[in-house]
Amino acid sequence: MSFCLELHLQQSEDYEILISKAGFKEAKKVIENHSPRILYVKPGAKVLGARIIGIPPIPIGIDETQSRITLPYTKPCHGTAVVDLPVEKEEIDKVKAIAVNPMKK
Amino acid sequence: MKKALILLGCPESPSQTPLALYTAHKLTKIGFEVTVASTPSASKLLEVSDSEEFYVNKKIDLELCLEDLEEKEYDLLVGFVHKDAAVSYFVTFYHILNTKSIAIVFEKDSDLLEKFLNDLKENTDATLISARAYHNPTPIRVKIDKAFKVLED
Repeated sequence: MSFCLELHLQQSEDYEILISKAGFKEAKKVIENHSPRILYVKPGAKVLGARIIGIPPIPIGIDETQSRITLPYTKPCHGTAVVDLPVEKEEIDKVKAIAVNPMKK
Repeated sequence: MKKALILLGCPESPSQTPLALYTAHKLTKIGFEVTVASTPSASKLLEVSDSEEFYVNKKIDLELCLEDLEEKEYDLLVGFVHKDAAVSYFVTFYHILNTKSIAIVFEKDSDLLEKFLNDLKENTDATLISARAYHNPTPIRVKIDKAFKVLED
């Protein structure tokens, strides 16, 4: 079964919110400063089953050692949050496959 | 018939709902089939304001619309932008649809208005309609009339 970010955030408690109700650029800096590796995706790219909303290039933080992903999560009335959560290795591979400008920090 | 998608942001700004109905009606008169994508709360405001669906008869949940959206699915994107998140949503819809786009940008704070406009200029080739507006929709309505005259011609 494929990962569903919305469902995961509703039903699990193993995620961490690094910032909430932020502007997109602020959230972007948080991700870039937090994760050991950053991959960039296009607006609307699907990560963990959800369309990623934002201004390009959109950073997705990758921690392969801990198998975690850090990503922006935007809602119209609540601004942008940054969510850090554990994922299966295959989800990290999926992000690598759609990254437009892979960059190592 | 050409298809237009109107993208609404958070309904916090009192100008958004009347401007959305006004814009939908203008586009319908020009000959577009209009769909409005919005949050559930913005949709409720439309439902109450236009209970007979005279101005808007096609509404879709913003998240559902985004999930299934495909390139060139609409001939025109019109987005209401009055928050940072609305900039992100507009840019995202713009990049997925890759179609003619108009952003209607309004904010009472001139610094925020300028920031939103700069972000949109840097990340899209959309036509930008902007004014300092919050309670009073007239400044932005006047600019909508002017910009949409081009679509009519």
